Amino acid sequence: MAGICRLRLAEERKQWRKDHPFGFYARPSKSPDGSMNLLEWEVGIPGKAGTAWEGGVYKVTMTFPEDYPTKPPKCKFTPPLFHPNVYPSGTICLSILDEEKSWKPAITIKQLVLGIQELLTDPNANDPAQHDAYTLFKNDKVAYERRVRQQARENVPK
Amino acid sequence: MSDNEASQDNIVPKTEDPHAPINVKVVTSAGEEVFFKIKRSTKLTKLQSAYASKVGKDMNTFRFLYDGNRITEDDTPASLEMEDNDAIDVMVEQVGGGHS
Repeated sequence: MAGICRLRLAEERKQWRKDHPFGFYARPSKSPDGSMNLLEWEVGIPGKAGTAWEGGVYKVTMTFPEDYPTKPPKCKFTPPLFHPNVYPSGTICLSILDEEKSWKPAITIKQLVLGIQELLTDPNANDPAQHDAYTLFKNDKVAYERRVRQQARENVPK
Repeated sequence: MSDNEASQDNIVPKTEDPHAPINVKVVTSAGEEVFFKIKRSTKLTKLQSAYASKVGKDMNTFRFLYDGNRITEDDTPASLEMEDNDAIDVMVEQVGGGHS
């Protein structure tokens, strides 16, 4: 099992280096001793142009279980994000990341990050994961957008 | 153009064959790709200025990102552990501020 997991992740990384969606990054993390940890990736998701999320690049940590790709990676915004479908811990609630729902082993990391970008601007109000963002999104769209814009400014890459 | 420039300097030998050039592509937000061949020991600023002159703009109007990190003055393909056929994202330099 572990063999498949690492082979697949090495291949994902290889494909990503050659071709990735513009403005995104996804790289295995490095341990303090300089060795690469294929099971934990640092990912950057840019907000879509022309939306309140534009300008920000939102950091996600992807943690892959040993039985990946049978099971999906756990994806977590670090720091946690203001968004209706993100738990207070930062964990992202999305059907394609849920093995009980739409996760399929054939889904690539590229597809995952594009899906997460899509989720930013298109939240699902029927399945809230955090109180703050959900309430504001439900009750006051203007204030919600303002808060999202502020968050984008706080996440402009250096 | 960058090819010629790259072959002219022969500085600082690095590990694993510094003379073998690698292919790198610079990709824009519109998906346009410009290909360069560069030695692993050559500073990427050379590639950046070659790209800028190719598109007829000043180098400082662009930001070059590799793996999400801005490429700095002293970076080389070797220092960033780049491999053949890797992609660099180029963005138009932007200045934030104001309230929308």
